[in-house]
Amino acid sequence: MAKKMTIALFSGSVDKLTAAGVILGGAAAEDMEVEIFVLLQAAFAFKKENALTNDRVAEITDKKDDFLASLERLQAPHWTEAFRKAKEMTSVKIHICGFAGKVWHGEKLDDFIDLADDIVGIGEYIDAAESSDINLFI
Amino acid sequence: MTKEELKQLKVDKVVDARGTACPGPLLAVKQAIADVPDGGIMEILSSDEGTKRDVPRWARKKGYEYLGDYEESGYFTIYLKK
Repeated sequence: MAKKMTIALFSGSVDKLTAAGVILGGAAAEDMEVEIFVLLQAAFAFKKENALTNDRVAEITDKKDDFLASLERLQAPHWTEAFRKAKEMTSVKIHICGFAGKVWHGEKLDDFIDLADDIVGIGEYIDAAESSDINLFI
Repeated sequence: MTKEELKQLKVDKVVDARGTACPGPLLAVKQAIADVPDGGIMEILSSDEGTKRDVPRWARKKGYEYLGDYEESGYFTIYLKK
């Protein structure tokens, strides 16, 4: 039986989303079942108009340009591509928190990039986290 | 196995993941393992230091045999038996 991972994805910054993508890759290699709950600032990053243009970083912000240049030098995929590849390789469900969506004026699933599977309430996260083997907050 | 013995292996599938960062090499291995016949050998080329630890650990979990690795010309060559 596949192990389960839940991720409460709060951050909308490229550095933390990239880290989430790396972890997702590891989970995909292990055939884990992953459920991601997109909360508050992460919902901003998942909006169609923001996903590829948002270049905010949360940590070591004075070195943002170095960080982004290094991602390019290392041929690291954009976080959206890392998420997409993980979805292709294992079961990854991405749920947008309904409240978070509304904060960023996203009322419908179509307001978000196609990685998102549905819009849910927080109860779904609690249920999934209760039965997961690994639960992360990013 | 020694480096010389590893170099003598008949390889069924080569995965060249040089130039990609973690977890790229591991994901490339996972995708390519389906192309290796049972009992066949996979050779993985990676310039990522973490790969030489990730691949053996992953192989153990999946029931494949890690045969060894060596570093040469600035990259790692890792061998698995399916």
